[in-house]
Amino acid sequence: MSEDKPHQNLAVIGHVDHGKSTLVGRLLYETENVPEHVIEQHKEEAEEKGKGGFEFAYVMDNLAEERERGVTIDIAHQEFDTDEYYFTIVDCPGHRDFVKNMITGASQADNAVLVVAADDGVQPQTQEHVFLARTLGIDEMIIAVNKMDLVDYEEGRYEQTKDEVEDLLNQVRFDTDSVKYIPVSAFEGDNVASESENTPWYDGEILLEALNNLPEPSPPTDADLRLPIQDVYTISGIGTVPVGRVETGVLNTGDNVSFQPSDVSGEVKTIEMHHEEVPKAEPGDNVGFNVRGIGKDDIRRGDVCGPADDPPSVAETFQAQVVVMQHPSVITAGYTPVFHAHTAQVACTIESIDKKIDPASGETAEEDPDFIQSGDAAVVTVRPQKPLSIEPSSEIPELGSFAIRDMGQTIAAGKVLSVNER
Amino acid sequence: MGKVAAAIKVMPQDPEIDLDQLQERLEQNLPEGAKINGFDRDEVAFGLTALIPTVIVPDEAGGTEAVEEAFQGVEGVESVSVEDVGRL
Repeated sequence: MSEDKPHQNLAVIGHVDHGKSTLVGRLLYETENVPEHVIEQHKEEAEEKGKGGFEFAYVMDNLAEERERGVTIDIAHQEFDTDEYYFTIVDCPGHRDFVKNMITGASQADNAVLVVAADDGVQPQTQEHVFLARTLGIDEMIIAVNKMDLVDYEEGRYEQTKDEVEDLLNQVRFDTDSVKYIPVSAFEGDNVASESENTPWYDGEILLEALNNLPEPSPPTDADLRLPIQDVYTISGIGTVPVGRVETGVLNTGDNVSFQPSDVSGEVKTIEMHHEEVPKAEPGDNVGFNVRGIGKDDIRRGDVCGPADDPPSVAETFQAQVVVMQHPSVITAGYTPVFHAHTAQVACTIESIDKKIDPASGETAEEDPDFIQSGDAAVVTVRPQKPLSIEPSSEIPELGSFAIRDMGQTIAAGKVLSVNER
Repeated sequence: MGKVAAAIKVMPQDPEIDLDQLQERLEQNLPEGAKINGFDRDEVAFGLTALIPTVIVPDEAGGTEAVEEAFQGVEGVESVSVEDVGRL
């Protein structure tokens, strides 16, 4: 694909049986991004078996087999374009243990399509995915009320599903004004690429229009510099070289930078990217750099590099909203699992469970509950057992989310509401 | 459940590490059930080059954890991090 249109990473989220794959298949097909030979192969097989119709999920299976033969990560990302954008679909794995990777990984989704089946409504996984979308910093969400063909295109069923989703979005404080709801059938193709005659009561945008009209994502270059350190090297002839990816802001040579929580600072001498010296590094750039006066043992993995005159926050405690995804028993105050945030992994104690949130209404269900368990959303106060640099999600979302792991599993995910600095 | 592709960034301990040999060691230490489809190399800075294998794992409990742990134990590896994941 050429580079003449802006690019968006689009997450497709929703409950396991609500038709995500079918919708992805339909989008690829309608935008002519399914390879011709895959369609031909499917048609032949369908005719042999005496089955008519065009089952996109089946096409997707064929595509999956084909992609598995590919070599690099590009195989996991499917692309299509509209008049305004190139989209890369981030098809999130179903298992919860991949949540950590989605939070700490490099290619985060800009916007999302939430798929909710009209014949099934909001399900626990719908709730979990919406919360994760919020935690992962997704700004705009398009709600595809799918499988309208299975409810005879009844407006009432669409409205009912829409109301359920609206309640859910209110719960996680998603700005519902900009959210678009579209009745679709990915299987039949209604309201995906062309207006459906089956939904005369609907006069809003169809799915491809809504995608085309999404706002353009802006890289977080305006924010303060935050560069979590992945590794620290000693390179002969150069000295100490921290390596990491710029999350927000810009790193310039000559900048005076501070590393937290190690609490050392110095002047950036040289920056290298792809083995070439560069004058500055921007969000998404993987760089190594050299800082005057800093030794290898002065800084470590998990430190965050920021401006010396406004250094990254170090939390004595922080308040966060969490959702418990899987835990064999209950979580009570005093529980100390490992928090994974940017490149840091730090044991943290849940000092208090401040309130539990009712998933149905979004209101506080219980103040100071004794415990929370799988499926619960709650506000908690957390005390890191070792110094941890972390930021309020409202100020720097890239440094404000975390996954909680224990017993070899990702048990919860959350975002930071406020930081009580050390 | 289907399969998941993960791009796993492996940083060597120093710029002198032979990347072809490191690549072989990673392949030999892959846990059961996981498969490496291919390797990318990402030139980082000051002679450091990351290996980025695309690893296919089942979409089930544990995620990429077993692969990350196995790679972390390989001689010459400084750090292991998952850059990107997606369903096949």
